[in-house]
Amino acid sequence: MESLLSLPWFDFTISGVVIGSIYALMAVGLALIFGVANLINFAHGSVFTVGSYIGWTCAVALGLPLWATVLVVAAAGGIVGALIELLAIRPLNHQSRIAPLLATIGVGLILDQIVHIIFGANPRALPVSLPNLRFSIGSGTIGAIDITIFVTGVISALALYLFLFHSKLGMAVRATAQDGDAARQMGVGINAINMTVFGIAGALGAIAGLLVGIYYNSIDPNASFEIMLKGMVAIVIGGMSNVPGAIGGGLILGLIESYGIALFGASYRDLFAFAVLLLMLLLRPNGLFARAHAREAEPMTGTFVTRAKPVRIPAWALVAGAVLIALVPALGQPYLTQVMTNALLYALAAMSLTLVAGTLGLISIGHAALLAVGAYASALLTMAGLPVALGLVLAAAITAVLGAALTYPAFRLRGHYVAIGTLAIGEIVALVILNWTSLTHGSMGLYGIPPLELFGIPLFSTNASYWFVLALVIVFALLQMRLLSSHLGRTWRAIREDTIAAETYGVASNYYKGLAFGFAGFVAGISGAVSAHQFSYINYDTFNLLTSVLILTIVILGGLGNVTGAIVAAIIVAGLPEVFRTLAEYRMLFYGMALLLLIRFRPQGLMGSD
Amino acid sequence: MATEGALLSATGITRRFGGITAVDGVDLHVREGEFLSVIGPNGAGKTTLFNLISGQDRMDAGRVTLEGRDITNLTPHRIAENGIARTFQHGRVFGNLTVMDNVLIGCHTRLRAARSRVPVLAPVIEILRALIRPAPVRAEDAAMRAEARDIIATFGDRLTPRIDQPTYSLSYANRRRVEIARALALHPRILILDEPTAGMNESETAEMQQIIGDLKAQGRTILLIEHKLNMVMQLSDRIMAMDNGKVIAEGTPAQVRNDPRVIEAYLGHSSIGGTAPAAKSLTEGAQ
Amino acid sequence: MTILSLTRRSFAAMTLAGTVAALSGAAFGQTSGEPVLIGVSGPLTGPQAQYGAQWKQGFDLALDKINAEGGINGRPLQYVFQDSQNDPRQSIAIAQKFISDPKIVVEVGDFSSTASMAASPLYQRGRLVQFGFTNSHPDFTKTGDYMWSNTVPQTQEQPLMADFATKTLGLKRLAVLHLNTDWGTTAKNLFVDAAKANGAEVVATEGYLPDEKDFRATLTRVRAANPDGIILESYYADGALIVRQLRDLGIDLPVVATGSVYSPDFLSLAGDAAEGVYTTVYFTPNSPRPEVREFVEGFEKKFGQEPNSFNAMAYDTINTLAAVMRQYGTTREDIKSGLGQISGFSSVIFPDVSFDPETRRVSGPQMTGLVVRDGAFTLYEQ
Repeated sequence: MESLLSLPWFDFTISGVVIGSIYALMAVGLALIFGVANLINFAHGSVFTVGSYIGWTCAVALGLPLWATVLVVAAAGGIVGALIELLAIRPLNHQSRIAPLLATIGVGLILDQIVHIIFGANPRALPVSLPNLRFSIGSGTIGAIDITIFVTGVISALALYLFLFHSKLGMAVRATAQDGDAARQMGVGINAINMTVFGIAGALGAIAGLLVGIYYNSIDPNASFEIMLKGMVAIVIGGMSNVPGAIGGGLILGLIESYGIALFGASYRDLFAFAVLLLMLLLRPNGLFARAHAREAEPMTGTFVTRAKPVRIPAWALVAGAVLIALVPALGQPYLTQVMTNALLYALAAMSLTLVAGTLGLISIGHAALLAVGAYASALLTMAGLPVALGLVLAAAITAVLGAALTYPAFRLRGHYVAIGTLAIGEIVALVILNWTSLTHGSMGLYGIPPLELFGIPLFSTNASYWFVLALVIVFALLQMRLLSSHLGRTWRAIREDTIAAETYGVASNYYKGLAFGFAGFVAGISGAVSAHQFSYINYDTFNLLTSVLILTIVILGGLGNVTGAIVAAIIVAGLPEVFRTLAEYRMLFYGMALLLLIRFRPQGLMGSD
Repeated sequence: MATEGALLSATGITRRFGGITAVDGVDLHVREGEFLSVIGPNGAGKTTLFNLISGQDRMDAGRVTLEGRDITNLTPHRIAENGIARTFQHGRVFGNLTVMDNVLIGCHTRLRAARSRVPVLAPVIEILRALIRPAPVRAEDAAMRAEARDIIATFGDRLTPRIDQPTYSLSYANRRRVEIARALALHPRILILDEPTAGMNESETAEMQQIIGDLKAQGRTILLIEHKLNMVMQLSDRIMAMDNGKVIAEGTPAQVRNDPRVIEAYLGHSSIGGTAPAAKSLTEGAQ
Repeated sequence: MTILSLTRRSFAAMTLAGTVAALSGAAFGQTSGEPVLIGVSGPLTGPQAQYGAQWKQGFDLALDKINAEGGINGRPLQYVFQDSQNDPRQSIAIAQKFISDPKIVVEVGDFSSTASMAASPLYQRGRLVQFGFTNSHPDFTKTGDYMWSNTVPQTQEQPLMADFATKTLGLKRLAVLHLNTDWGTTAKNLFVDAAKANGAEVVATEGYLPDEKDFRATLTRVRAANPDGIILESYYADGALIVRQLRDLGIDLPVVATGSVYSPDFLSLAGDAAEGVYTTVYFTPNSPRPEVREFVEGFEKKFGQEPNSFNAMAYDTINTLAAVMRQYGTTREDIKSGLGQISGFSSVIFPDVSFDPETRRVSGPQMTGLVVRDGAFTLYEQ
């Protein structure tokens, strides 16, 4: 105990407040947008990045003074924010609620990629001369920029608070947030309001990018997602649409991380952030600052799934398609065969996700965690001497059990909260793999995973492993379709359509959610395990957040809940980058555009949701 | 009202939201085969009371028993397993499911394929049964479908021709019918109907009243919330009137319709939407 | 078709090289005939894209020189860069492409261990040499005899760095901050072993995630352990963030960073805080060796900036492979056996490039101690 008390807690508090102000600055914009558009803006981190590079252009390349730089950055950020609303969000007004969220992911990809192409991937310095004031506090110092960040956060929250509660436009904004349709009937111009809010949030996000860039003297085109996630945790702590609460949430997150590092070390930082996120969602979904006994929101009867109209493909066409796919190796192009193997492994993962996201209606952004569990389980078992075939089956079973158990906390969440909760669960799994060194070898990863073989028959040739994976896809697709036509398919869809009504008719929804995640975990576990034997080396980052987003994109492209759709879309998505390969740097840009256009013009996916 | 012999007994039911007591110490008893209606102006706490009995909401105080078994604050699916089926005020069919599948969900509590008693392995067995579908599972499925078809047929040619259509494609009135069919498929000990004719025109209302009358004639125990007082007066064995979360009158239709507190409650809320026609029909019913 | 997958910049560079060669005529000999192709698998997009860009600078400069000197016995040397995004799924597909393309005689890359080692079994079975030059994972060359690497092994680099910290600078209580990746963890372990063997005490080790930006809390924790020197197993961008925040916290201890921070970008990112930071490098543009002078001058002329160690390693890799091809032939097997035999070739990093046929790695880099003085890396003299 004495050693705990002797830690420099005051210094840790200061460190927490400094980083917490940065999170708070991010969170204010996110909270504002959530409050009005009921949307987590995944592109907010990219606006932050755009702001930092516009700041660099003004301050370093053009040599403008700081005040002019701030003005230009705010104006540019405002324009970018308003354009996001106009081009990506507004056209999706009447689509399923997940559509705008995915559109912001697409916009984020595009913005990041544009910055990447213009400025390159190297971090850049952003030396801006501020008054060289440093104040000693504790055993360290804080400088003018730290105070500027903190004050900017507080002032913008205060200004927004005044704007929302004491101006006419602000009243309209709040009315829109409470009931968009009613506000529209009262003559409030919702489009103008939304655009204003995205503009304000964009300006704030861009200024945050500039200030944080100055603070670290470093700007980096890859910072977007990480900083957005921290802002998101902050608004969950503060109450999703509570603007002053966002400041508190940011500071609290900063302090939790700082104290966590004090006690356990730097490697655990993000683990704390995501654990806090998950706990908040479960225990205080309305945020720390919500009134204790606020009335529970009316149960949501709507669903993410639009009217199901799956494209029915005749059986002969499916068989013909399967035969054609099986003949790919006959083309004699191992590269193509390998790309198709990858596509089919994605197809397995997407079939798994389409069951829970589509059939069951729980949109998960953490599905890569199931792949990772399967991969590590099979790798560790076979490296300990088990035959590969047995390893695959056991890994799938372990993933089925863990998949249901790990996602259990998310079962009681609804709507966007499921997406955030599963994202947190996915990150937590990756960080546990990283930190559980005695089992997983931590950051060293697992090397020397035995190649694929079944009962002594080696399957590591390109064609053999291709046919093996294809067989897995066909078998599990048939099994999944059979489940969907049974009472389980009916029950899962009923839970998706209206969980309350399903419960009222005797459906134990958590049990059936667990069953779905169990089957989905089995399939995802197989996909991860086969990947592990193919790669022979895996580490905690092999199946990361980007993998999760990619799988979700495949599922939406194919049509939520649609098994054949998932397979077709996996082949397209895994093949698309190959088509764009000649475009090198522009590949991800095209990819983001494709995602955006798809959500806009074919939200039910290529094959229709089911 | 004596508690003995009651099929469903609710005593001292209380639910508070923040500072407001939505349901305040309500007692409710239903005998086997009885038709009990609950009336009252909007905001009287009727739906909240039903939500508490059928488990969608948790009560702050009170106790509910069904045939003497305590079902207080059980989860909704446990209450369904005990034999209480309900419909919802605004209609909650599963839009992307067909009429048949909606009704089959009503059979869920009786589905043996979903009722493995083997500890730990029950989930695996349920999935395997769904995949392999041995003869007993197929037979059960066929029986359930036949029964569902029969229930659907009680609505004449309203639903049968649309049996394989998703319910989002149905008219509003037909969706309410699907809800009742789904509730009947549960083989309920008590059927709770929350405003089954809300939003229906006159001919649809008359048709629904006919159906509910038939259900009553079958000897079913029914709890009804309804604003259309003509219908309430004609169908009910007994009526309970609520206002401000409390029971203000209880008795036969004749007793309740002449109770000054009931008339006052309705007239006193005349500014609230939906109450004016109700008050009008109350007076009409009294003539 | 292969030309198409080259980006515009490298294509232009090659055209330029061709022009130079044509003008200088007989003095250097003109290249003609079927080009000799090196397949490169590395990140051109995604979070590691900057390293792919730095590779290309080094490759292009090396090709200018090689092709101006007559290529590989008269045939032009070229490379095909396939973007893997540092993703193992893509690197194994690229491996299939290279293995099945008979024109590719040797493969270079990928960047990270995850992406590289996933492809290794394929290259091994396809009997195509996989030549890694940023693959410090100790197991990289263990997959089979077709995996070769001229990465300076950390087993050699870290003990020299530990000697510098403990013997040259005389530090006794060390705090080690390291990237929590296979590279950073390996480096930390080897450094800690060597430092302890030298009699120093390691009072704190902290691993941090690659995308970490805020180190105040971590450094507060480090200071509480009361060290007399800070060791950084970092890349330049995170290294710069750490030294800035160290100075903000008023920690004035000596800092010894691994050679990865040796980059002009480290100086601009860290600003004044870089002053006094020590590093040990196997490549410095200040070196008087003729191979280094030629590289640095050529690089500054072509790109208008000072090269960093990734540029140098990329440049060395192409030159080493060219030397092997010139001496031992251009078939896949020639290159594999040639790598085992080459000696006496002097590169920018290794005064004498020779591979241990058992470990298939190069040994004997020269390490130089540097310190930042007046905003520039300068040779450290006691």
